[in-house]
Order: sequence, then structure tokens, then C-alpha cells
Amino acid sequence: MASDSLRPRPSDVQQTEKRRGPGAASERTPDAKAYVQQLESSRMRLSQIEQDLQQSQAQGMVLGGSSGFGNISQGAAIFDMEYARWLDDDNRHMAELRTGLQAHLSDSDLRMIVDRHIAHYDEIFHLKGVAAKSDVFHLITGMWASPAEHCFLWLGGFRPSDLIKMLISQLDLLTEQQLMDIYSLQHSTQLAEDALSQGREQLQQSLIDTIAIGSSSDGMHQMAVALGKLSNLEGFVHQADNLRQQTLHQLHRIFTVRQAAKCFLVIGEYHGRLRALSSLWASRPRQNLIGDDGSCQTTSTGLQMLQYSGHNHLNNF
Amino acid sequence: MQYQRESWSSYIEARRRVGTYECLERIERLASENAVVIFSMSSCCMCHAIKRLFCGMGVNPTVYELDEDPRGKDMEMALNTLLGGRSATVPVVFVGGKLVGAMDRVMASHISGNLVPLLKQAGALWL
Repeated sequence: MASDSLRPRPSDVQQTEKRRGPGAASERTPDAKAYVQQLESSRMRLSQIEQDLQQSQAQGMVLGGSSGFGNISQGAAIFDMEYARWLDDDNRHMAELRTGLQAHLSDSDLRMIVDRHIAHYDEIFHLKGVAAKSDVFHLITGMWASPAEHCFLWLGGFRPSDLIKMLISQLDLLTEQQLMDIYSLQHSTQLAEDALSQGREQLQQSLIDTIAIGSSSDGMHQMAVALGKLSNLEGFVHQADNLRQQTLHQLHRIFTVRQAAKCFLVIGEYHGRLRALSSLWASRPRQNLIGDDGSCQTTSTGLQMLQYSGHNHLNNF
Repeated sequence: MQYQRESWSSYIEARRRVGTYECLERIERLASENAVVIFSMSSCCMCHAIKRLFCGMGVNPTVYELDEDPRGKDMEMALNTLLGGRSATVPVVFVGGKLVGAMDRVMASHISGNLVPLLKQAGALWL
């Protein structure tokens, strides 16, 4: 994904030139030659950067979405595939929720849809549990998630208290009891998150101490000890996923059927927008390729992309 | 557990079971002495997390570090038996003398809102 964002899309540059019209360059910029030169030097810079990227990848640095060692583990590959399929299912479930709410279905019919949605979430937690056993690094580093989600990752997934905070601002018509329950849930998840974060910090510190110590003769032993400590990471990801799953179930318990349907819709759309944000960010045109009045072009091209995009959740953006 | 044909192995097994029983008794006794009792190991990071959880709630748990106890290994095995043979034994939490469980159970009970009433009942929380 990192290399994609650095390569200029030919279509972007063509669009810009099309909008300017043939010969418009010489009208708008005093020196058309300088503009072309600027393009050329930028492209040379780009190919240099790409070369450097490939070199550092060969030296084993991990960049963006690609693994420094070339291949991802089988467990990770399988999970990525399952996750992609789960995302497709997610779109289907979201559509069901949306039409269910708009059609004013009976509570029992809506309940079936909501229950299916909860089961759908249970499925991803199950998949993550399986993946954690074979490749916990893949999960905890968030290589499977879009860059924007990746940015806000907590122990391999979303932070439950953040989700609740977002929901509180989105949902209305809550009874006093419900508000109390939700604030109480927020407080509990906050405490749990802090506890797990601190435990994970201690693990990290302990690992650093293990790797830092050790003369060369003791090296192998220290590595073995470090490996043992590293295996505890799986426990933390497991607890974090449990926390996420239980938070969703608890929300399901607190809300009425219609509120639960809305709640899951909000959650799904929120994550969908994070993913869309990642795609938009990755495909945004670079200012130094466009020219002096580039800033206006960037905005309008960005908006055009919003219109092109087939994702219907962008309509709510 | 597999029963070996050699009598020496079955003797060892019997001794171990008695040892486990003694440890279970000791665990029960220790658990009933304080409102919140955590069996932990000083090097265990998940134990650190669970201690932070209780401290965050304003509870002051009594902690027994098994790696600092001469009978620590036996206690560990006894706790394992109590929990039904889990891979990671510690941390294990008792509230009001009753077993709550390992990290999984404690977290689940915390999120579902069942932990606070238990703590209040045991006199570990007053608010």
C-alpha cells in the first residue's frame, strides 16, 4: 500500500492536463518548459524513492502493508482472505439492517436481523482467535486492517471505550437507565483497557530487558527466554478481543431492538468510513506534480473521487 | 491422567494427589482470609494487568506470588486442577472466599457488571 501511494496515477495527471485544455499550460503558467521540467524532476525523484524502498525492503525493514521479508505467513494469508469475505458479509448485513429499520419491521423480525448481525461479529472474533494462534504479530500489528483503522488500533482491533463514546454522541432517545448502563459500560471498558495496556507495557519492558542483557555466549538462551515471553502476546490479544466481543454483546443487552439495530448500523458505517478514508488518502494526487496553483486542483480532484467511488456509505459522509 | 503399570509411578501419582489436596486446602484457607485474593506470579504480565484492574476499581487485593512461595509449584498444579486443566494457571481470583476464575472469567464478569456487586458483598467496595 505504501508503494502505491508514492506512484503517481497517470490518470490523475491526465485529468489535470485535460481540464487545463491543450495549450492552456502556456496560458496559465508563464513558463510551460519550467512546468515540464518540474514534472520530470519529480518523476526522477519518485523512481529514486522507489529504488530506496526496494533496497530497504531487502534489508528487512517493514513498510506499509507489505512484509519486509517478502511473504506473509500462511495463517496471516488465510486470515486476510477470511477477513475480506467477512467484509463482504458485513455489507450485506448492513444493508439488511438499513432496510429493516426503514421498512418499520416488527420487533421480532428486526430482532432476528440484529441477532444475525451479532453472530456475524462473533464470527470475526472466532477467526481472529484462530489467526492469533498461528500469527499473533499479523493481528497485533494490524496488517490486515486499512491504514486509518491501523492508526487507531489497540491490541489488534478497535478500542471499546472509543466506540461507546462515539455511540453516545450518535444515539438519542435513551432512557435514564440506559444512559446509566452505557456510562457504566464505558467506565468498565476504560478500566479494562487500562489494565490490559499496562500489562502489555510490562511485557514489552520485560522483553526489552531480556534482549538487552546477555553476552554473546548467553545469546541463544536469552533468545529462548524472549520467545517464551513473546508468546504471552497472544494472551493479551485474546483478552482484548474478548473485551471487544463482550462490549458488543453488552450493548445488545442494554438497547431495545430498534436501538440495537441503529447502534450496529452506526458502528458498521463508522468503520466503513475509516476504510474509505484510507482509500481516499492513498489515492490523493500529490501537489508537487500539479504546479503552482496545485492546491485548488487537489481539492476538486479529491471531490471528484468522492463522486466516482462506488461505496454507497460515502453518501453519508 | 494415565495410569502406569509400574508401581513406582503410581506411588508418585498418589503422593502428588495428596499433595494437591493439601494445596487445595491451603488455597481455600488463604482465599477465605481476605475479601479479594489473587494468586499470581511476579513475572507474569497478565497478573500485572489483573492487579491494575482491581486497583483501578479502588479495591486493595491480597496477592500471593507463587514464584516466591516454597510450595509454589504445587499450588500452581492445585489451581490448575481447580480450573479444569488450563494452560496458563495464574492469575486466579477469589472474591469473598469464592472462586471467580482466571482472567477470562474476571473480565467477563467485570464487563457484564457482575463483579461490582460481588465485591460489595465481600466488603471490598463501599461506594
